[in-house]
Amino acid sequence: MKTIDFQIRRQDDPYSPPYWQSFSIPYRNGHNVVSALMIIRENPITQEGHHVDPVAWEFNCMEEVCGACSMVINGHPRQACSTLVDTLEQPIRLEPLSKFPVIRDLMVDRSRIFSDLKKVRAWIEIDGAWDIHQGAPRVSPEAWKDNYLYSRCMSCGCCMEACPQYGDTEDFVGPASLAAVRLMNAHPTGQYHKTQRLHAIMAEGGLSDCGNAQNCVRVCPKEIPLTTAIGELGRQITLQMMKDLLGKSE
Amino acid sequence: MQTSIHNPHFLLRRLHSLLGLLPAGGFLIFHLWENSQSRFGATYYNDQVVGWLQGLNYLVILEIFMIALPLLFHAGYGLVILRSGQSEWRRFSWLHHRLYWLQRVSGVAILLFLLFHVGWTRIWAIWEPAIKLDLFGHMQSLLSQPTIFLLYLIGLLLSLFHLSNGLWTMAISWGLTTSAAAQQHWLYICAGLFVLLTALGLHGMLGFVL
Amino acid sequence: MKRPRKVIIIGGGLGGLWSALRVAEAGFQVDLFSLFEVKRSHSVCAQGGINACFDTKGERDSIWQHTVDTLKGGAYLANQPPVKSMCEEAPGLIHTFERMGVTFSRTAEGLMDLRLFGGVKNRRTVFAGASTGQQLLYGVDQEVRRQESLGRIRKFEWWEFLSLVLDGQDTCKGITAMNLRTLEIKSFRADAVILATGGMGQTYGHRSTNSTNSTGAAACRVYQQGAWFANTEFFQFHPTAMLGDDKTRLMSEAARGEGGRIWVPQDPEDTRRPTEIPEQDRFYFLESWFPSYGNTVPRDVASRAIWRVVHEMGLGVGGEHKVYLDLTHLNPGFIEQRLHAILDIYRKFHGADPVHEPMEIYPSAHYAMGGLWVDFEKDVSSGGMKPGSQRNHATNIPGLYACGECDYGYHGANRLGANSLLSASFSGRVAGEAVAAYLKGLQDDLQTVPEYKYLNEVARQQAINQSLMDSRGEENPYALHHELGELMSSRVGVVRDNDVLRQAIDDLSELEERSLRINLQETNSWSNQGLAYTRQLQEMIRLGRVIAASALARDECRGAHYKPALDLTIPENTYPGDPAYEKYREAWKRQNKDWLKTTIASAGETGPVISYQPVDLSVLSPEEPRDYR
Ligand SMILES: Cc1cc2nc3c(=O)[nH]c(=O)nc-3n(C[C@H](O)[C@H](O)[C@H](O)COP(=O)(O)OP(=O)(O)OC[C@H]3O[C@@H](n4cnc5c(N)ncnc54)[C@H](O)[C@@H]3O)c2cc1C
Ligand code: HEM
Ligand code: HEM
Ligand code: SF4
Ligand code: F3S
Ligand code: FES
Repeated sequence: MKTIDFQIRRQDDPYSPPYWQSFSIPYRNGHNVVSALMIIRENPITQEGHHVDPVAWEFNCMEEVCGACSMVINGHPRQACSTLVDTLEQPIRLEPLSKFPVIRDLMVDRSRIFSDLKKVRAWIEIDGAWDIHQGAPRVSPEAWKDNYLYSRCMSCGCCMEACPQYGDTEDFVGPASLAAVRLMNAHPTGQYHKTQRLHAIMAEGGLSDCGNAQNCVRVCPKEIPLTTAIGELGRQITLQMMKDLLGKSE
Repeated sequence: MQTSIHNPHFLLRRLHSLLGLLPAGGFLIFHLWENSQSRFGATYYNDQVVGWLQGLNYLVILEIFMIALPLLFHAGYGLVILRSGQSEWRRFSWLHHRLYWLQRVSGVAILLFLLFHVGWTRIWAIWEPAIKLDLFGHMQSLLSQPTIFLLYLIGLLLSLFHLSNGLWTMAISWGLTTSAAAQQHWLYICAGLFVLLTALGLHGMLGFVL
Repeated sequence: MKRPRKVIIIGGGLGGLWSALRVAEAGFQVDLFSLFEVKRSHSVCAQGGINACFDTKGERDSIWQHTVDTLKGGAYLANQPPVKSMCEEAPGLIHTFERMGVTFSRTAEGLMDLRLFGGVKNRRTVFAGASTGQQLLYGVDQEVRRQESLGRIRKFEWWEFLSLVLDGQDTCKGITAMNLRTLEIKSFRADAVILATGGMGQTYGHRSTNSTNSTGAAACRVYQQGAWFANTEFFQFHPTAMLGDDKTRLMSEAARGEGGRIWVPQDPEDTRRPTEIPEQDRFYFLESWFPSYGNTVPRDVASRAIWRVVHEMGLGVGGEHKVYLDLTHLNPGFIEQRLHAILDIYRKFHGADPVHEPMEIYPSAHYAMGGLWVDFEKDVSSGGMKPGSQRNHATNIPGLYACGECDYGYHGANRLGANSLLSASFSGRVAGEAVAAYLKGLQDDLQTVPEYKYLNEVARQQAINQSLMDSRGEENPYALHHELGELMSSRVGVVRDNDVLRQAIDDLSELEERSLRINLQETNSWSNQGLAYTRQLQEMIRLGRVIAASALARDECRGAHYKPALDLTIPENTYPGDPAYEKYREAWKRQNKDWLKTTIASAGETGPVISYQPVDLSVLSPEEPRDYR
């Protein structure tokens, strides 16, 4: 019988050592990694026939928009829900993202992504979420086209996993948070607080910690032009530095 | 709110980047051009090229402030930066990831190379004034040993790689190239520069031994 | 100094985040609970757009027309003042999103672009590329993060809401919740609670377009503590959802609009590849049943036709529940350009190319019009909902509010496309403001609620956990969920029949029984996903019973609720004024007299108790039947 074979890196809790287990499920056309994991969790029996605890992993939308299901599949960080089994070499190796603390099995704690978004002030300052009887200034279709690319970042963590400068002992906020700054700085009223955001990413862990390895842009499932954002921010920061050094002080 | 002026982290990074190009990169290019004149023979090299250089006023000050200190800073801070990476170079085989890794490795290699290189030239000359008088002959005797020749060749290639790739990354860091296309075009230019400078350097090395 | 009043908000989708913002802005402390990082909430799945009348396309669109379309589309079952207010405030709401930084698609002049959506004549749908819901959610998510950095909102992500804590007067004074990592159960005091836990599509299991967070479990928990459900029999099925073992994925109507044809092989046993089946062996049932519309019949008609072909005629492809949606006869270049987003999804998730191979599709549970019953206060001067009234979006449990897809507010018997992102956001904003008003009028001190109320509730929840962990039954929760999905979709689905519904209710009771004899197959009590899953599953089964019981009780066809035996159809080729049409109108009005009322389900000893409430029809009296010809 044709099967789909998996090797899954498991870990019972954040403090216990990891170990590997192998599973096989009957082949079925059209499986993605999430749907295959669902079959395994229903009947968690290893290839050796041992009954084990179901594999824990994270997923929600199953449409590659929520960013929950990132894991390392055959060495590459990607979304499990949109990775079709038929496109993978077997046995399929599943591992948790290595740059974040493991919670259990394939689940990791990505809360740092969100605290980094706070660090770089990735928001537009509005007076309040009430109606002020007008909208924001107009945006040209060209500017929209560029901005839209960045607005699709789902905080999945793949780019951080692939970035050699990002790590659990490093300050570097990673490419996604930088791209968020790029996006906020381009908003017609977001511009008003551009300086604050730029100063935030001029600090430790900011833009200059990027080493231009450009893995980020290769692995991003949403094809976000992260390295373009990094270049554009480089330019903004160079100008900001000139202003800070030569221009009027705050 | 910390401004960039008050944030040493950012300024140090930019200083490191800048010093890599100027004066370090500039010196290297000048240095290779200088040595490329070895083919005009021992006398010309010793008298016109080195001699002119050594005749400059305030040479030591220039050497210390234009070469030694910037290079030391760049090297020292480079080692600090190096500690922050965790290049799993085998994991991803994309070009720029490999280059990223090589940039770091070459940095360390250059450091080692310079220890030997400056040792054999400048430092040794402190005890052996003869070296200073006939640098051409000194280099000739060094470079005719195949192992040393090989060492120089590697040192040269890595230095030029480090400089060319450094130029490529600098353009992003400073915001010169932003789009993927611009970065690609700049890559071709940097690669061209690498080839050109390699030719120049090789030419100089061969000038001593042929 | 008095400690600031505290509000607990459960759910971080559009509804929850909007209410969190408004409560925080009113100066109250917010604790925001979610099953996971709020940015991953189901709201991100919405692609199409959000409705608001801007009238920038020279079509003389009006807010009134938006209101009429919404009310009529919902077969007049929605209370009208809230709908009126929602349509009126929609443009302001969109402008607020714009200020938050949402990347709406633009016209050449830099204005927000509009597109046409189903069920309406004017372009009224604002959109952000092909990911509107994602962009909207991120907009509010950013603002919430800002409030968080200012200390006004605290997040409890990876916490699952389990139950309310009620005081001696049955007023809601807090909740119990489970930490999904440690499985620790804790109680939290609050002066008011807002439930914004989203839809309930997962009761249809893998036969739903919804994310896994859309279980309806949280709503079902408060229902068992006394809150009412309303109109749960109304569930929108999307006719063309791409099949999958894990979920079904939406293929937008555009596929049919651009010329896609729906068919099945004449012989369900036909084992040939679809492309090898010659024309004469295919059955283009939409085209043969609805010659004038063919494949472009409205959603519900298409869903029912597919249902009939599969369930009554047994013609599903390969004997399974699926039919073909065929684009292969169209010019590849043309469809690539027009249907890029759909082709992309199909290729990505099915691995096959719809340009060369027909897509396999089936109707799928998509949106719950029903949900928790919520109140509103009518503003007599405007005819809309009274702004800032503490009654708006209040459930029947004092201190408990509901917003987003988990309430029943705005869509009546059927939801108009692109209206639910609007209702989720709008209702969140209203609920937040209502809670602020409620708190301003609140006299008692939260600290006077005796501690044992909280301790008892925690103990009750711990006992449920313990019994599940200890249970060594023979049932597998994942297999049971699969069964539930099949049961709901085949018997409480697109087409309904009273005998079948009765049977379904019996089977659901049995399923509930079985779900108590579970085997979690797991001993690890750290991040035990099976435990949370099973608890949600049990709620979904109970919710299934509420849906089935409400459906059984409603003996008519209205909107998404369809019982063929009771169908009233417009006689063919007749129009207002024709005697045949007027006769139909009379019959339709008689039906309204009997059935134009809100279904209320409350938890009884032995199951749901159904009763009815009148609908507020003060804005648009039901004179015109829905007519999409
Ligand atoms: C595929 C698809 C496409 C759609 N497209 C459109 C469209 O184009 N236009 C449109 O208008 N509408 C569309 N909709 C509908 C719309 O997306 C939803 O109605 C809306 O997003 C619901 O938002 P919400 O805030 O109510 O819930 P959700 O976004 O589902 O959020 C629910 C939140 O509740 C939390 N939660 C749930 N249970 C618990 C618990 N027990 N404890 C703690 N937290 C809990 C979750 O963590 C989550 O944060 C679409 C729906 C689907 C399925
Ligand atoms: C390609 C072959 C090279 C040759 C033949 C060569 C030759 C020399 C010579 C002859 C000197 C002594 C100059 C003097 O005392 O005035 C010297 C010094 C030096 N070289 Fe090279 N060099 C080569 C490559 C390099 C490279 C690749 C680097 C590093 C980037 C380098 C860095 C230096 C430095 C830093 C000094 C000391 C400079 C000073 O103090 O003035 N050289 N080299
Ligand atoms: C001596 C030891 C050296 C070490 C350890 C070293 C280390 C480094 C490192 C780690 C970087 C990467 C910085 C980053 O990506 O953030 C770098 C960049 C660079 N180096 Fe060096 N380097 C050394 C010598 C040199 C020399 C001799 C030159 C000149 C020829 C040079 C020129 C550059 C340039 C131009 C850059 C690019 C800076 C940027 O990207 O902004 N380096 N170096
Ligand atoms: S930039 Fe791409 S890879 Fe990185 S978090 Fe966002 S979506 Fe994921
Ligand atoms: S991979 Fe990392 S080093 Fe920079 S270019 Fe991307 S952030
Ligand atoms: S489950 Fe949402 S991205 Fe995969």
